[in-house]
Amino acid sequence: MSRLAQQPGERIDRSQPVSFTFDGKPAAGFAGDTIVSALYAGGRRVFSRSFKYHRPRGELCGCGQCANSLFQIEGAPGIRGCSEPIREGLRVVHQNAWPSLDFDVMRATDRVGGPFTPVGFYYKTFIRPRRLWPVYEKVLRSAAGLGRLPRRQDEREWETEYRRRRCDVLVIGGGAAGLAAATRAAELGADVVLCDEDAVLGGLLGIEGGHERVRELEGRARDAGVEILSGAPALGFFDGLVPVWQGSTLHQVRADQHVVATGAIQQPLVFADNDLPGVMLSGGARRLAAAYAVKPGERAVVATVDDRGLDDALALSAVGLDVVVADLRPDAGGGELAGRIRAAGITLLTGHTVVRAQGRDRVERAVVAKVDARGRALGDGSTHDCDLIAVSGGSAGALSLLLQAGGRAIYRPEIAGFAVTELPAGLHAAGAAAGHDRAEAVEVSGAIAGAEAAAALGRSPNGVADARERLAQLPAAAPVATPPAQASDGGRRGKAFVDLDEDVTVKDIKRATLEGYDSLELSKRYTTVTMGPSQGRFSQLPAARVLAAETGLDLGTVGLTTARPPWSTVPMGVLAGRPLEAAKRSAVHRRHEELGATVRWAGDWRRAYDYGDPVGESVAVQAAAGIIDVSTLGKLLVRGPDAGELLDRLYPNRMSNLAPDRIRYGVTTSEAGRITDDGTVCRIDDETFYVTTTSAGVAGVEQSFTWWLETWGLNAHITDLTQGVAAMNLAGPQARGVLTGLTDLDCSAEAFKYLDARHAEIAGVPCMLLRIGFVGELGYEIHCPSVNAEHVWDAIVRAGSKVGLRPFGLEPQRVLRLQKLHVIVGQDTDSEMTPYGAGMDWIVKLDKQQDFIGRWALEHTAAHEPSVRLVGFTTPGGELPTEGAVVLGTDGAPEGQVTSARRSPRLGQVIGLATVPAALAGDGAQIWISDAGRRIAATVTTKPFYDPEGEVLRS
Amino acid sequence: MRELFRKRRMWRSRPDLKKRYDVVIIGGGSHGLATAYYLRQLGITDVAVLEKGYIGSGAAGRNTTILRSNYKTPEGARFYDASVKLYERLGKEMEFNLLFSQCGHLTLAHTDRALFVMANRAEVNRLQGIDSRLIGPDEVKELAPTMYVGEDTTYPIMGALYHPPGGIIRHDAVVWGLARGADAGGAEIHPYTEVTGLQRSGDRITAVQTTRGTIQAGTVLNCTAGWSSLICDMADVPLPITTHILQACVTEPVKPFLDVVIVSSQMHVYLSQSDRGEFVMGSEIEPWTTYRTSGTLNFLQDLTRHTLELFPQLEQARILRSWAGLCDLSPDYSPILGQTEVENFHVSAGWGTYGFKAAPIVGKTLAELVASGRTPDLIAPFTLERFYEDNLVSELAAAAVSH
Repeated sequence: MSRLAQQPGERIDRSQPVSFTFDGKPAAGFAGDTIVSALYAGGRRVFSRSFKYHRPRGELCGCGQCANSLFQIEGAPGIRGCSEPIREGLRVVHQNAWPSLDFDVMRATDRVGGPFTPVGFYYKTFIRPRRLWPVYEKVLRSAAGLGRLPRRQDEREWETEYRRRRCDVLVIGGGAAGLAAATRAAELGADVVLCDEDAVLGGLLGIEGGHERVRELEGRARDAGVEILSGAPALGFFDGLVPVWQGSTLHQVRADQHVVATGAIQQPLVFADNDLPGVMLSGGARRLAAAYAVKPGERAVVATVDDRGLDDALALSAVGLDVVVADLRPDAGGGELAGRIRAAGITLLTGHTVVRAQGRDRVERAVVAKVDARGRALGDGSTHDCDLIAVSGGSAGALSLLLQAGGRAIYRPEIAGFAVTELPAGLHAAGAAAGHDRAEAVEVSGAIAGAEAAAALGRSPNGVADARERLAQLPAAAPVATPPAQASDGGRRGKAFVDLDEDVTVKDIKRATLEGYDSLELSKRYTTVTMGPSQGRFSQLPAARVLAAETGLDLGTVGLTTARPPWSTVPMGVLAGRPLEAAKRSAVHRRHEELGATVRWAGDWRRAYDYGDPVGESVAVQAAAGIIDVSTLGKLLVRGPDAGELLDRLYPNRMSNLAPDRIRYGVTTSEAGRITDDGTVCRIDDETFYVTTTSAGVAGVEQSFTWWLETWGLNAHITDLTQGVAAMNLAGPQARGVLTGLTDLDCSAEAFKYLDARHAEIAGVPCMLLRIGFVGELGYEIHCPSVNAEHVWDAIVRAGSKVGLRPFGLEPQRVLRLQKLHVIVGQDTDSEMTPYGAGMDWIVKLDKQQDFIGRWALEHTAAHEPSVRLVGFTTPGGELPTEGAVVLGTDGAPEGQVTSARRSPRLGQVIGLATVPAALAGDGAQIWISDAGRRIAATVTTKPFYDPEGEVLRS
Repeated sequence: MRELFRKRRMWRSRPDLKKRYDVVIIGGGSHGLATAYYLRQLGITDVAVLEKGYIGSGAAGRNTTILRSNYKTPEGARFYDASVKLYERLGKEMEFNLLFSQCGHLTLAHTDRALFVMANRAEVNRLQGIDSRLIGPDEVKELAPTMYVGEDTTYPIMGALYHPPGGIIRHDAVVWGLARGADAGGAEIHPYTEVTGLQRSGDRITAVQTTRGTIQAGTVLNCTAGWSSLICDMADVPLPITTHILQACVTEPVKPFLDVVIVSSQMHVYLSQSDRGEFVMGSEIEPWTTYRTSGTLNFLQDLTRHTLELFPQLEQARILRSWAGLCDLSPDYSPILGQTEVENFHVSAGWGTYGFKAAPIVGKTLAELVASGRTPDLIAPFTLERFYEDNLVSELAAAAVSH
């Protein structure tokens, strides 16, 4: 056990032991431990195997950012072991190693395959014979990937709540800068939300001995009313909308002002075998000690280019490690830290760095040497026995969110890294993300950002100018040395890694550059550098440095790759929210379920396809009566002095001359003259029209009508009544009798004619009755308030039961309407069908005065023969073609398609609708249908199969 | 094996611009580079490819790498079939492994209407000699055993259009291989060279203005996808095109889980698992027009929710990166390809979401057009004139989401 005595500010609760298992073996820790801190305390140093070479990897960052300690927990791969807390009974297993984490046979790819698998090797191999590629590919695939997904297929287990939060200021990052910013803005009266990915606030300050100050700052923030979300990473910046993931909640935060105080990411150093377990960021080693009271090693070599490394070295020394420091800077920064290092009796080698790590599967020695400006070792250097190499390769601001929000990255040599400029309005950077590296400056910059955010909201903060002055007078950031692109690229046998996630080495980047992949974006795509789970946090800058060194370009020109969301990788279940899919159901849907209907999707609706006996249902309609729920039809009320004019401009046919209480069929067309929807238009009074649309089309129709209404500035308005009004169609020879028994209305053929509309009470409910009939029988479409729909339905079913009325579903309706060759828009027409092609020439009134939607195109179309026409057909041989089967042209090429086909029980034959070449569109023409290899002969007909003169319909 | 160890440049680093080229290709993506590549085969080598970013930085490097030819119209199916056949032998021809995996492509049907469209596509494809057929839920389950194929779900799978030759390819490798081939033949590739204007005199383009100077050109080709209407405006050739974004994302890599490409139009989602183990997923085109390639949260939410309907196991797969690219959408979802009213100015545009699938055949046919001055039969249906003559080639019904 390498547990230290109690550390001030430690996160673990020693009174609460927690047991869990790792790879099936018992492991233990305390409440507050992460998987890695607990395992590390137990002596484990290897936490994963690398992606490509299966090299053993130890901990790197200690804070959930790196890909060195990804584990599998149950069905979840890629769990960040250095931030995931342990829980009682947790079962943690390793990823990507077989048979075990400590002995992985795939390591052979490193030892043997290494030289044979240079960067991009798969582009240059397995080219021929081509037929063997699938075999190679299978091998490559099985070697790829890290974790494993369960193969189970049961229901989803993850349920995320979406929470929407509107606030004045969102502060991202809960370190000193973020807390100061949030507090300042909240004290000025702003509604502030602060989020931080860590479970404990304080950022670097809390780890670097400032936990008391963190407590103070956090207390002030809470007192000021800041809503604090901890353990909650901000995932991205989407036009001001910031999703924040916290456990099983996805907060969608929209703020007026954003303060980004995301800190900086300590960078690794690149040297030979810099991936040996035991090579760790100095901040990560320090965090293990400070937060979890875990001693990260016994003897450490700290390699640094900045003051942070020196500070970490002091902290490691203070917890009992034997420390040697190699500082690349010739004067070790020249500040008081160097003096304190020496005063503590720590060996300080200036102008030195680590050029090689040595050891078998873990660090045993570090080779430290003086290096020249290009990072080449001068002389052999000295070897130091150690079990920890703690590195601090400078800091890279965590800029992703700032860049996603529209900031621009520029290179600043004095910080040996990039900073963001040109921040858009409403965006403020603070703390290390804004380039400040000293505790006091970090906090002051946060307070300034908070005040500026509040000022932008119209508050009047005092003392901002003073604070700015104070910030300017604070000691400048300590000098940072630019780390060498590489301190030894590993030579013949070693590897110097630029990207640990993807096993990309210095040699790989160099080789790619030589081959022509000489921009960072090309290099990324070719070598896969920065494409791993840590999203380039630790590899982008080192890769850019190697590329700059190879191409001779400066780092500013090499630049960064584009910042893309999400900033923290996030399980799909978190984004997906609850497994909900909106479905619309009609007001009488319960009745369909009671009747055992087959329910299927129809657009957004769940509809009754049949009630188990489609043939019987269709026979009942023709022999007696039937009722079908058509509540899904779109229903629009168009009202106003210009309502008739509006409809005349929207429909190719004329609507303004419709008499009150009369109904007309209409199709709408696009500006290209294509059929977009159909339905009926009923005039209720001078200024009022009741318009129905297809079930799927209502949203589009309503949108288009409204758009044009606004464009033309006509005096009318449109109300969508679809969900408020239910509709059912009562049809069949007995329909009149059934209806008469339920109403006082005179339903006689003379008083209530075909295409008439009437208002009347049915079973005591005020209804509108439309005498129309899609199924071709005498029929009444009854529209009533949705709340009364079940009552009306029940009354009709009860009254009809005496004469053999049956409810019928969509399927029998389709057969019945097909007998009449009634078209279903969207099934029998496609996006290219014109009214002429659909045989509805009569519906286009080119003699209308008004311009109407599609007029120009339809005038053009009217002058030409359409390429295909929609016609009816029968198959003399009785074969039933698949809907979608191809209709062949005279030359045997595909020209049209079968759009509908059914076996008609009444007619005893197969009937259908098809688009056919115009030349074959005449009555009696023979066409050939090609259907999955079958050739089916069919005969064209243009007249309805049933009641061709419409006598039944009008009866 | 020797090739493996040879450190050889793939292409020359950016050469100086000459004063004149026989052919100037605007756009260093898959279409521009393929055209340069095939021009070389016809002996035309005085060629410059002008690219405003790095090669493959536009749609060529942002698509979801799916190839297929099971299109709805006979014209489309024939054209994309020729493309897939070229892709099949391109790797060998270029001595560059494009990692083309013909793992099969499944377009799921969740409704009657979808089954109808699939049946029609299958038959049109079959008549063109393309391997494409309608299969039932049982066969779907065999091909994608990890997918949820049950009745008790929001959108049960009623069947699928199965297209065995469809699959995925390494899109960047296509760009690099074509660039190497074109460069070796003498074509000059000029990254970071943006076209700022076209000088037109009557029926001819006389010069191309770039950020690196003005050049004369015998023939000018516009292969700029999302930006094609802007380039055409420079030549005063209006295109009936709107530009939209299409978004995609990948997960962290996991062990092999899915071996076919899955597309669901109803759910607006398509996904495959790359050879690296990442799930590559995309959705439909965003309905608004824009040139701004920043993504939306809605996309990630809808895509993940729909994907989990099909693969509940993916709930713990982690989204690693998302991005957006531009799509140039034509009114009938078919390309606009070939000659324009300007004699020496040809276009490859209007690709919507299909451009990458067509790269080699576009290159080949445009090269033939440049060499012979005649429009090859295969692309004759796709002329710009069809919009004036109402001879549309509508892929619309197939296009809601159809990778």
